[in-house]
Amino acid sequence: MAKEPMLKFVTVGRDMPSKRDAEDRKDDFLEIYGEYVEAKAEEQASRCSQCGVPYCQSHCPLHNNIPDWLRLTATGRLKEAYELSQATNTFPEICGRICPQDRLCEGNCVIEQSGHGTVTIGSVEKYITDTAWENGWVEMIAPTVEREESVGIIGSGPGGLAAADRLRRAGLKVTVYERSDRAGGLMMYGIPGFKLEKDIVLRRVKQLEDSGVEFVLNCNVGEDISFDAIRGKHDAVLIATGVYKSRDLKGPGSGSAGIVRALDYLTASNKVSFGDEVEDYLSGELNAADKKVVVIGGGDTAMDCVRTAIRQGATSVKCLYRRDRANMPGSQRETQNAEEEGVEFVWLSAPKGFAGDPVSGVMVQKMRLGQPDASGRQSPEVIEGADYVEDADLVIKALGFEPEDLPTLWGVEGLDVTRWGTVMADFKSHVTSLPGVYACGDIQRGASLVVWAIRDGREAADAMIEYIDQSVSVAAE
Amino acid sequence: MTKFDQDWAAREDAKRQWMTEHSLFREEDEHSSCGVGLVVSIDGSKSRKVVENGITALKAIWHRGAVDADGKTGDGAGIHVQIPHHFFGDQIRRTGHEARDGELLAVGQVFLPRTDFGAQETCRTIVESEVLRMGYYIYGWRHVPVNTECLGEKANATRPEIEQILISNTKGVDEETFERELYVIRRRIEKAAQAAGVSSLYICSLSCRSIIYKGMMLAEQVAVFYPDLMDERFESAFAIYHQRYSTNTFPQWWLAQPFRMLAHNGEINTINGNTNWMKSHEIRMASTTFGDMAEDIKPIIPQGASDSAALDAVFEVLVRAGRSAPMAKTMLVPEAWSKNAEELPQAWRDMYSYVNSVMEPWDGPAALAMTDGRWVCAGLDRNGLRPMRYVVTGDGLVIAGSEVGMVPTDEATVVEKGALGPGQLLAIDMAEGKLYHDVEIKDRLANARPFGDWVGKINDLEDELSGITETAYYTGAELKKRQIAAGYTIEELEQILAPMAEDGKEALASMGDDTPSAVLSTKYRPLSHFFRQNFSQVTNPPIDSLREFRVMSLKTRFGNLKNVLDEDSSQTEILVLDSPFVGNAQFDALKDHFNAPMTEIDCTFPVDGGPNALRDGLDRIRAEAEEAVRSGGGHIILTDQGQDEKNVAMPMILATSAVHSWLTRKGLRTFCSLGVRSAECIDPHYFAVLIGCGATIVNAYLAEDSLSDRIERGLLDCTLSEAVLRYRAAVDAGLLKIMAKMGISVISSYRGGLNFEAVGLSRALCAEFFPGMHSRISGIGIGGIQKKLLAVHKQGWLGGNTLPIGGFYKARKSGETHAWEAQSMHMLQSACDRASYEMWKQYSAKMQSNPPIHLRDLLDFKPLGKPVPIEEVESITSIRKRFVTPGMSLGALSPEAHRTLSIAMNRIGAKSDSGEGGESPDDFTPEPNGDNASAKIKQVASGRFGVTVEYLLACEELEIKVAQGAKPGEGGQLPGMKVTDLIAKLRHSTKGVTLISPPPHHDIYSIEDLAQLIYDLKQVNPRCKVTVKLVASSGVGTIAAGVAKAKADIILISGHNGGTGASPATSIKFAGLPWEMGLTEAHQVLAMNNLRERVTLRTDGGLRTGRDIVMAAMLGAEEYGIGTAALIAMGCIMVRQCQSNTCPVGVCTQDEALRAKFTGNADKVVNLITFYAQEVRELLASLGARSLDEVIGRADLLTQVSRGAAHLDDLDLNPLLISVDGADKIVYDRSKPRNAVPDTLDAQIVSDAARFLNDGEKMQLSYAVQNTHRTIGTRTSSHIVSKFGMRNALQPDHLTVKLTGSAGQSLGAFAAPGLKIEVSGDANDYVGKGLSGGTVVVRPPMHSPLVASENTIIGNTVLYGATDGYLFAAGRAGERFAVRNSGATAVIEGCGSNGCEYMTGGLAVILGSIGANFGAGMTGGMAYLYDPDGLALDLINMETLVTCPVTVDHWETQLRGLVERHAAETGSVKAKDILLHWDEQKGYFLQICPKEMLIHLPVPLAIERGAMPAE
Repeated sequence: MAKEPMLKFVTVGRDMPSKRDAEDRKDDFLEIYGEYVEAKAEEQASRCSQCGVPYCQSHCPLHNNIPDWLRLTATGRLKEAYELSQATNTFPEICGRICPQDRLCEGNCVIEQSGHGTVTIGSVEKYITDTAWENGWVEMIAPTVEREESVGIIGSGPGGLAAADRLRRAGLKVTVYERSDRAGGLMMYGIPGFKLEKDIVLRRVKQLEDSGVEFVLNCNVGEDISFDAIRGKHDAVLIATGVYKSRDLKGPGSGSAGIVRALDYLTASNKVSFGDEVEDYLSGELNAADKKVVVIGGGDTAMDCVRTAIRQGATSVKCLYRRDRANMPGSQRETQNAEEEGVEFVWLSAPKGFAGDPVSGVMVQKMRLGQPDASGRQSPEVIEGADYVEDADLVIKALGFEPEDLPTLWGVEGLDVTRWGTVMADFKSHVTSLPGVYACGDIQRGASLVVWAIRDGREAADAMIEYIDQSVSVAAE
Repeated sequence: MTKFDQDWAAREDAKRQWMTEHSLFREEDEHSSCGVGLVVSIDGSKSRKVVENGITALKAIWHRGAVDADGKTGDGAGIHVQIPHHFFGDQIRRTGHEARDGELLAVGQVFLPRTDFGAQETCRTIVESEVLRMGYYIYGWRHVPVNTECLGEKANATRPEIEQILISNTKGVDEETFERELYVIRRRIEKAAQAAGVSSLYICSLSCRSIIYKGMMLAEQVAVFYPDLMDERFESAFAIYHQRYSTNTFPQWWLAQPFRMLAHNGEINTINGNTNWMKSHEIRMASTTFGDMAEDIKPIIPQGASDSAALDAVFEVLVRAGRSAPMAKTMLVPEAWSKNAEELPQAWRDMYSYVNSVMEPWDGPAALAMTDGRWVCAGLDRNGLRPMRYVVTGDGLVIAGSEVGMVPTDEATVVEKGALGPGQLLAIDMAEGKLYHDVEIKDRLANARPFGDWVGKINDLEDELSGITETAYYTGAELKKRQIAAGYTIEELEQILAPMAEDGKEALASMGDDTPSAVLSTKYRPLSHFFRQNFSQVTNPPIDSLREFRVMSLKTRFGNLKNVLDEDSSQTEILVLDSPFVGNAQFDALKDHFNAPMTEIDCTFPVDGGPNALRDGLDRIRAEAEEAVRSGGGHIILTDQGQDEKNVAMPMILATSAVHSWLTRKGLRTFCSLGVRSAECIDPHYFAVLIGCGATIVNAYLAEDSLSDRIERGLLDCTLSEAVLRYRAAVDAGLLKIMAKMGISVISSYRGGLNFEAVGLSRALCAEFFPGMHSRISGIGIGGIQKKLLAVHKQGWLGGNTLPIGGFYKARKSGETHAWEAQSMHMLQSACDRASYEMWKQYSAKMQSNPPIHLRDLLDFKPLGKPVPIEEVESITSIRKRFVTPGMSLGALSPEAHRTLSIAMNRIGAKSDSGEGGESPDDFTPEPNGDNASAKIKQVASGRFGVTVEYLLACEELEIKVAQGAKPGEGGQLPGMKVTDLIAKLRHSTKGVTLISPPPHHDIYSIEDLAQLIYDLKQVNPRCKVTVKLVASSGVGTIAAGVAKAKADIILISGHNGGTGASPATSIKFAGLPWEMGLTEAHQVLAMNNLRERVTLRTDGGLRTGRDIVMAAMLGAEEYGIGTAALIAMGCIMVRQCQSNTCPVGVCTQDEALRAKFTGNADKVVNLITFYAQEVRELLASLGARSLDEVIGRADLLTQVSRGAAHLDDLDLNPLLISVDGADKIVYDRSKPRNAVPDTLDAQIVSDAARFLNDGEKMQLSYAVQNTHRTIGTRTSSHIVSKFGMRNALQPDHLTVKLTGSAGQSLGAFAAPGLKIEVSGDANDYVGKGLSGGTVVVRPPMHSPLVASENTIIGNTVLYGATDGYLFAAGRAGERFAVRNSGATAVIEGCGSNGCEYMTGGLAVILGSIGANFGAGMTGGMAYLYDPDGLALDLINMETLVTCPVTVDHWETQLRGLVERHAAETGSVKAKDILLHWDEQKGYFLQICPKEMLIHLPVPLAIERGAMPAE
C-alpha cells in the first residue's frame, strides 16, 4: 500500500507559524504571524485525520472542502489545493488571517475535540493562497461570455466584493459604489494591519478592477447618487453596505470629549498607515500616544482597538468588559495576543458614567455572573457598593454596530427592514422586498464575520444571476 | 391415519401464488441441499443387496434433511435403481400380456393429479398418445402401491396419484435409440401437458434402464411408502439415493431427488448465467442426434426448474447426444485446471481447454451422484466444498456418499476407503465391470478424443497485448469535460481510482453506508449504483478469492461459440485473454486480431432528440447490433466515445444489457463477442455490472485517461502502461471478489448472469432491458434516466471546468446526503452526556428532517386507534430489553469501548454481542461493583477466534455470524498492528501477527451444515439460544425458513448499511439490501410457512430513532440492534479511519495513547437505549398501542406517503406492506424456551460417567457408534468445564470414551481437557471442531486390511478453530485439515487440499501426501510434512511461509516426540516404520513456518541466510 500521507496527528504535534515577540511587534502595524515554509505546511496539513464527517467543514460558513485541500497540501499539490480552496471561498488568504478559527473550523476539528491539538487550518489556508499569489496562479477573471446585463453593488466590503467576483465570472457587468475613498470596507479600514496587511486587500481589489469590475469611490448613496438612479442603471442591485452605526453608551458624562467611537479610531489609524493626513489623528483626538486608554467592550473590535492603542504608544491600555473571559464574544486567541502586548483586561466591569470633560476616568460598576439565560450565557448582575473610577484620557467605545436607517437615508420606499433595522431579505436568495434588489452581509444579518459576508455575497450573486437569466428569457418570449 | 384436507393444497398453492405476485417472496429463491450417495456393484451384476444398502443408507442420513412443523413431512427423498425385469415381467403377465423374451421394457414413473379426475384422464391421454405417436406399444398402467401412513399432513395433502406406464420396444430399436426416443417422448409429454394446462403431471423417470421412486417423505420412510422397494424381486446393480433439505416448506413432490440422471447435494451458484447462456446454446444444440425432433426438446431447461433440476436437464441432453456420464460431468462441472500447483498432464489441459471453450462451467458447491445407465459416477465440483466419501467393499460394491458409515460394511475385507477431492471423479463402468479412479477416468476421457488438435486454434493474446504501450485518448480541457459528464468526482479519482493505480488493489474504508439509495438521491448517480451485488449465505458459501485463488479464473474467451454438442475443431477458433479488462491501446491492437467482421456502434443520443431520445437510441443500437450479426459480424463494440456538446452518452450498462438481451432473444448472442468502451466505468463494481450484463471485454478508457492525466501532473511516478497494469490488477481482484462473494469461480459463468438485485429500477425497464433480474420496488425508468443524463451532460459539456468534490464515501457539504452529520452527532452526544431527553427529541427531529435516505423514510404510521395514556404503555424497562448492541469485536473496538457496551447493556437487562475475537475469561464473572463486562451474546464467526467451551458457556445466546451487513460474502483481516498482547491472548494467536477471517464458515457450505453447527452449539451449551445473523438480500426469506428449520431460535436480518472496521470501499457500498426489504421478506416467508412463531426476528443496520424502531417492529422485528449510534454515544465521531488504528477518540483503536482519549462510559449508552425506548413508548401511545407486541408484524399500519421524486416511474413500496394470511394469529413470545434438538450419545455418556462428573473418578466407557451419532463428546465437555473449569487439573485421559464404528460429524467438537475419545473405525467431517483441550484418537479397526496412510479415515474441515488439545488419526484427512487451528496439536497420515489454511497456532504433523494449496493464509503455528518423494513444495502456498529441513535439535525433539506418541496412540504402522529408521527418515521431513512467526520462535529455524524463498 502506498504510504498514507495523512493522519499524522498521532505522531506530529500542532505547530503554528512563528509569532513575532510582543516586544518586537508592538511598535508596528505589520502582521504578527510568520508564514509556514513549504515543509512545515505539508507537515501540519498531514495531521488531518480525513474525517468521514468533517466537522471543520460543517462549522465553516463557506463549507470549505478543508480535508481535501489539506490532503493536497500535505502531498505537495499546492496549485490544486489553491484551486479547490478558491472554488468555495473568494478570499481564502483573508479568511486564513482573520477568521476566528478557534470558534469555527479549528475549534471543531475532531483532532482538537479529542485532545490532540487542532490542525492549523487557517495558517495552511493562508499559506496556500499566498503561495498562489506568489506563483501567479491567481488570475484575472476571464468570463467565457460577456453579457449585456449589469449589476450595481453598494458597498465594497467582503460581501460586495465576493458578489462582484462571482457576478463578473458569469460575464455580467459590475459596478461597485463605495462611500469611502478606498474599496474594501471593513477589511480596508476596520481591521488593523497587524491582523490583515492592507496590500492583501489591495491586490484583491486590483484583481477585480483588472477583471473589469468598475469601482465608484467616494460615492455616498442618497447624496452623490440616488438609490433609484442605481436601480435604473442596473438589472439588479445588491445592498452590501455593512453596519456602521456604533452602539452608544448612556450615563453621566457620556458626551464628554475624549470618548470616541471604535470605528472612527480604527479608520484613522488605518488611514495613517497609508500615509494619509488625518485631521483627528493629528489633533490627538484619535491618537492614543501617551494616553491612558480604556476600551469598553469584549468583542473582536475591542481587541483591535486595544492593540492599536498599544502600537500608537499609549501609556496604559485597559479593556473593560462586563462578563468574564469565558463569556466574552471575541476570539480567545486575540485576547491572548493583546495580553502579551501589555493590555490589561478588567473583567466583570461595566461603565456607569464618565468623569471629567475632557474625560479623566470611567466610573466602573463591578459585576458578577448570574444564572445562564436561554442562550446558555450567564447574564451579569451588579455588585452593589463596589463601584470605582478607572483613570482614562481616551475612552474608546467598542460595543458593537447597528445598521443605519437606509430607507430614510436613501429615500427608498418599499424596502422593508427588520425591527433591528437590518434590511429584510430571504436568507437563501437574499432578495429583499424590492424585486431585483438584494442584500447581503452585515446589513442583512447584523454585525458578523467577514466569512459570513463572503458566503452571503456568493449566495446573493447566484440568486441574482438566476434572476437575470429568468428576466432575459421572459423578455425573449 | 393421517388427516387429509382436500382443499389445503389448493389454498396453499393460491396463497403462494398471491405472495409471489404481491410480496417480496419469490419461488425461484428457494434453495435446497442435502445428503446424497450411491451404491453400485462394480461388475454390474444386479442384486437385492444393492437396493437394500441404498435403503439402509437413506435411513442413515435423516439428519441431513429437515422436517416440517408437522414432524412428518420431509423435504423429499428418493432412490434411483435399475428396472427389475422379473418384477415388472410379473406385472405385465398380470395384465394378460407376455413380455417378449429379451425385449426391452420401458417403465415410466408418473405423478398424476390425484383429486381432479378429469385432469388425470387428460394426462393419461397425453402420455399414451405421445408413446404411440413415437411408435411404441403400451402394456398398460400400473397403480403403484403406497403406504400413506408414514406421510405428514402436508405431504399427504399434496400427494399425487403415482402410476407406472409399461411400454414395449415394439420397434425393436437398440437400447441407446430406445432411451433417446423415450427422452423425446417425455419432453413432448411435458410440453403437451403444459399446453393443456395441467401443471401437476410429472414424470419421475421414463426409461428402459432405470426407475426413480421419490416423494415428500422422510428419508427413512422411502421404502415404507413404496412397498415395491421391499419386494425380493426388486434387484439392481446400482442405487442412487438422495435426502433433500429445502428452505421452502411447501411440499412439492417433483422437486424431490434423484432426478433422471443425477442427484445433487449443494447449490449451483452460477445458475443465472448458465440458464441464460443455455437459451443461446440450445438454439444451436439442434444436433443430428435429435434431427427433426430437435424442436421438441427445447427449452432444455424447463420453466421453474431448480438448480439441480436444470443441471440434470442439461446433463441428460449431453448424455442423450452421446456423451458418457463422466464426460458430461467433465463438461459441465470441470475441475480447476489453469492455475494448478502441479501441472496437469497436457492431454487433460487440452481437454479442459476444449471443454471451457464450449460450455460455461456450472459451479457448485456440488457433490454429484449420477448415472447414464452404463456408468455410475460420483463427483465433486472445482472447490470440493461438499463431502463425498467412498468405500470399496470386499464383495465388489462401491458405496459413496456424503458421509462414511451410512452402510455397514465388513471392515475385515474392505478394499479401500477414500474421499473425493476438488473436481475429482469416481466412475464405475458397469458394462466393463471396472472401477476408474480419478486419474484413470480422466486419462481415459482425455485420450479418447484429439482434444490437442482441436484446441490448437485457440489464440492466446495475453502475451502479445501485455507488451503494448498504453496511450490516452483525451487530455486537458476535453478530458475534464468528459470526466464531469461521466459523473466523476474528485473523491472518486483520488480515493478510488488513484489507490488502484498506485497499489494494485482497492483502498480500504470503514464504518457503514449512511447515504441514500440511488433511487432516493437528488444527485446524479451512475446506473451501477442501482445494482446490488448478490452474495452467498448459508445455502452456499462464498469463496476465498485471495487464499484459494487457484480455483478462480477470469480467462475471457471470445469469438464464435459454436454448437455445444459438436465435437470437432470448428468451435475452438477463439481468442483468449487473461481478464476482461482491456486497456486503450490493447483494445485497438485487439481489433487487428479479430477473426470476423467487427462493427462499432455509437451509444449516444442527441441532446435535442426529444423526450424519447434515449429510448430511440436504445432501439437503434439494438437494431444495428442485430443487423451486424445477421450480416456475419462476429464482434460488436459498443462505445460512448462519440459524446460531445450535442450528443449524450448512454449509460453503458443499459446499452450493453439492451444489446445482450436483444441478441439473446434473437438467438444471435453466441455468434458474436460484445466489447464495451465506457466513460463511466471506473470501479470494479461497474466492471462487474457490465460483465454481468453480458459484456465480453471492457475498456474503461476515461479512467485510463484520468490516470494518464495524473502521470502528466507528476502524481504517479510510473508509465501509463504500468499504472494501467496495476489498475487492472485491482479491478481483476475486485471482480474475483465480487464473483467469489456469491461462490462463482469462473467469469464465463458470471457473464450475462445478472447476479444482482436492482433497488429502484422501474419494473418495466428491468423487464425489457435486464430480463431475469429482480427489481422489487420499481423506481427510475428510461425517462428519469434520460433526464438525469441530460443534466450531468450539460454540466460537463456546457458547464464549468471544476470536478465536483464528491461526498459519496465521506461526507461533503456539496455532496451526497449522509444521515450522520456533525450537528446530529453532536446532539446525540450531548443528549447522552447530559441525560437530556429534550435534546434527544431535537436530535430525533433533526434526523427526521433529513431528505429521504431510506425506504422507510417514504412511509408513515396509521394509528391503531385513539391515542392511549402513556402510563398504560409497557414500561421503558420492558422495551429496553429488546435492544442489543450488534457484534463488534474486541480488536476492532478498544477494550474500553468493548467493555463499556457490555456493562451498559447488562445493567438494563439488554444484551451486547461479543463480536468475533473472544473475550477475556476474567470478564465472565461480575466485577466487585456488580458490573458485568461479559457479553450476553457470544459470536461464532468464520475465524472462530477464541471460541472455546468456556467462551461458549459464558452467555445466554450464541450468534452464528453468517454474513456482515457492510461486506456480506467477504472475510476480514485484523492487521498485525492491531494485534496487541491482549488481543493475541484472547484470540490464541501471536502479537503483531495478522489474523484472517475467511469469507465462509468452513463448516457451513450448505444449509444442513448450518443445522449441524447449530446442533453442535446446542450440545455444548445446554441452555443458550442460537442466533443466525443473515444479511438482507433477495431470497433471504427462504433462507430464513431453512434456518428456522435448522432449529435456530433467533434470526437476525442485518441491513447493508451496518458498519465494519475495514473493508474495500466499494464492498461497503454495493452489496446487500436495506433491512426493510430483508426483514419484511423474512417475516413474510416465515409466516407463510408457519415458522414465524418458532423464531424471534431481530434486525439492525441504521436504526437511529424511536421511529425507526417502531417501523422495524411493524415490518416484523421483535428485537433491535444499535451499533453506530452506540459508538457515537461513546464518543465516536465517524472519522471513518477505523482501519488505520488512529481513532482519535479511542473507540476503535488499540493504540495506548489514543485509547487514553476514550471518554465513553456505560451511563451514556444506558441513556441512549433509554431514549430510544422512551421515544418508542411515546409513539406507541400516540398510535394507540399498549405494547410493542401489538404492532409487531403489523405492516398494515404503515402507509406510503411519498412516491419519491417526480422523475421516477413509480416507487412502489407495497410489496413491503403485505400481510400474510393468518399472520394476525402469530404469537410473539421472546421468552419461550429454545427449540429443542435431539440428544446424542452424550446423553448416555453423561449418565454413565456420573462418578467421573460428580466425584472426579477416572473412568473408561465403551460404545458402538454409527454416522447418525453426531457431536460426540461435546455435551460431556460442557459438563466437564462447568464442573472442573477449562484450566482444570484432570488427567488427559481422565474420562476415556472408546467408540467402535463410524462416528458421525463433529466428533469431539469442543472437547475439553480431561476427555479422551478413541475411535476404532473412522469418522466424518468436522472432527475436533473447536477442540478445547481434549484428545481425539481415530484409528482403523484392528482387523482392517487397509494401509492406513492410503485411506481416508477422517472427513473435511478437521480441527476448525481448535484452540488446544490433541488429535491422532491413523489415516488421511479430507479437505481443509486444521483450518484456522490456533492451538491444537495433530498427527495424521495425509490430507486433501487447503490443509492448514489460515492456521494461527498449534502444530500439525502430516505423515503422508498433502493436497494443493497447503498453508494458504497460514500466519501462525508450525507444520511438519513427511515428504520422501519431494512432492510437497509444489503444493504449498508459499505466500506467507518459509520451509526448511528439520535439523535443529529443539524442533527434531518436538517432531520425534509427536511421531512416537502417534505410534503409541494409534498403533500406526507408518509411524513405527519412520521411527525405526529415524536418522534416515528425519531427512524427509519438511518444516513449515509462517514468515511473520520467525521473530517469535523460541529457537531459530535451520534456515540459512538467503535460503528464504523469493517473494
